Amino acid sequence: MAILLFFLFAAFAVGSVLGMIISRNQAYSALFLVVAFASLGGLFGLLGAPFMAVVQIIIYAGAIMVLFIFVIMMIHLGEGISAEKKKWTIAAAVFMGIILLAEIVFAVKGAPAVPMAGQEMAGTSPTEIGRLLFTKYLYPFEITSILIIAALVGAVVLIKKREGE
Amino acid sequence: MNSFGAVVPLLVVVGAALIVFLLEAFLKKENKNYLAYLSLLALIGCGILSANAWNGGLTYFDGMLRLDNAALFLTFLFLIAVAFVILIGMKYISLQDANHGEFYGLLLLALSGLMIMVSSTHFIVIFLGLEVLSVSSYSLAGLKRKDDKSSESAVKYFLMGSFASAFLVFGLAILFGTAQALDIPGLVDFFKAGPDNQVLGVVGLGLVLVGFAFKIAIVPFHMWAPDVYEGAPTPVTAFFSIGPKAAGFAVLIRLLAPYWNAGFRSGKLFGFLWALAALTMLAGNLIALRQNNIKRMFAYSSIAYAGYMLIAVLAGDGAGLLFFLTIYMFMSIGAFGSLIALSRKGREYNELGDFAGVGFKYPWIGAIFAVFLLSLAGFPPTAGFLAKFYVFVAAVNQGLTPLVLIAVLASLISVYYYLRIIVYMYMREPEREVSIEMENPALYLVLFLCLYGVLQLGLFPGNVLYLIKQAVAALL
Repeated sequence: MAILLFFLFAAFAVGSVLGMIISRNQAYSALFLVVAFASLGGLFGLLGAPFMAVVQIIIYAGAIMVLFIFVIMMIHLGEGISAEKKKWTIAAAVFMGIILLAEIVFAVKGAPAVPMAGQEMAGTSPTEIGRLLFTKYLYPFEITSILIIAALVGAVVLIKKREGE
Repeated sequence: MNSFGAVVPLLVVVGAALIVFLLEAFLKKENKNYLAYLSLLALIGCGILSANAWNGGLTYFDGMLRLDNAALFLTFLFLIAVAFVILIGMKYISLQDANHGEFYGLLLLALSGLMIMVSSTHFIVIFLGLEVLSVSSYSLAGLKRKDDKSSESAVKYFLMGSFASAFLVFGLAILFGTAQALDIPGLVDFFKAGPDNQVLGVVGLGLVLVGFAFKIAIVPFHMWAPDVYEGAPTPVTAFFSIGPKAAGFAVLIRLLAPYWNAGFRSGKLFGFLWALAALTMLAGNLIALRQNNIKRMFAYSSIAYAGYMLIAVLAGDGAGLLFFLTIYMFMSIGAFGSLIALSRKGREYNELGDFAGVGFKYPWIGAIFAVFLLSLAGFPPTAGFLAKFYVFVAAVNQGLTPLVLIAVLASLISVYYYLRIIVYMYMREPEREVSIEMENPALYLVLFLCLYGVLQLGLFPGNVLYLIKQAVAALL
């Protein structure tokens, strides 16, 4: 069952990333990316990391994608990049791709034995993380709320309507 | 000692910020000054609470919050600086179309970020404190919403600041991956033990240092500073010149102090920091020579000052660094305060040409400004001389003579552009009409206190040095 699900999610992930690269409409690309993130979330779930799986979907497929789509809607990219720039983009992409490949090879070679599918790793369960957040890391957690207030107020100050306007 | 008392000063400041935000919605525009009084009251309360904690060594949250004497000394410094900024800002924000009560609330939140940063040795907490400080600073820089330069300054600060945070977080991730620890004692143990994968650890540490170098504007990570300093409302610029810098250096000495007596001067990072210090002093002072806008000139001057402070770090002179920061706070806020004194409704005089003849037209403001400039240039008997003198002597004692030679040369260069303003004020005929708003008692109070600070610390620094000795004892 797990093997079957793995291949299903893997196929979805690879397929949707391909779709994202190939499609010419940026909005479609963004939606393909959502599918890719969701299937990656499924893969994390299979590896016994439920927290990662949920975070993958909530943060990437939820928050970050909304941001992407807003940006795509607000700035019209139009015809895309010029031929001159495209050469550089391809060169940069090849360079980055090789680095990423090397990283993955090293990571796979150096990785400890892969945990069995379905078995939960220590310290990755939502319960465990929640407990840590409210005991050992309570102070950083509370500071985060100050940070969010500062960000909210700051944004409102900069954009709010003026009196008599 | 584990005690809830360690959190209370921070709670007072954050609570006051929240009350300011709440009241802002209900207060009429004419009554916005009450928010300033409330903020000042909170600062005084926080100061009294911190004074009671002196020598207490309070900790809380499993030691993530450490109110040692070094943290308390810097907290006092920040409280005084923010109180000064509020006082010089009260009239300014109504004159320059930035009259939002949030000014005070955001300043208090920025202050809480500073307090969080200096009172912890855990890098997650330090990073979050830095973000609280930065996020409040971004919007403070853009408070003059109708002014293009102010908006530009906010956007630039936001982009460069986020970039720096990315470096910092990436470095922290690598450090955590290699050392399995993010608190400073744990990291120190890791580097002292010297296991195999230390190269990766040094890369992580380097990225963290780059992140902090951005925040304290060290060449070559200083590009944002002149534009941000120029565009931001002047009281906010005064805050930028001291707040983030002092907190960044506090973290640096917490991180490096354990090495000062253990092979620091032969380590891998020493040469890197040495070169940064030399480059910062020379580039900062040389570029400042060509500036005609006073705020930009002060931006480069504050970059150069970061270089002098780095010498103190390299020489392992924690007391010298804290003394330097204290004096720099008085000089810098005094100088920006004098700039604010030369303004009227909807108009600020920041070009060098505006200062022609000011010394005779407004003799008091001219004289006070001249004292701050002489102090920044490092003339005795002002405090600016003593600050540099102590740091340079400590550096020579540690065998850093070449760096001190560069520093003295850089200070000599800086004398030219500080004196140029004085020459304009007293020896040039006015080119254009300068008329200013004279009625601003809060500002004059700050100018007087800064003047007192600059002269007191320059002539009789004993009391402050005594406190600083106790503060530094906590670090080593």
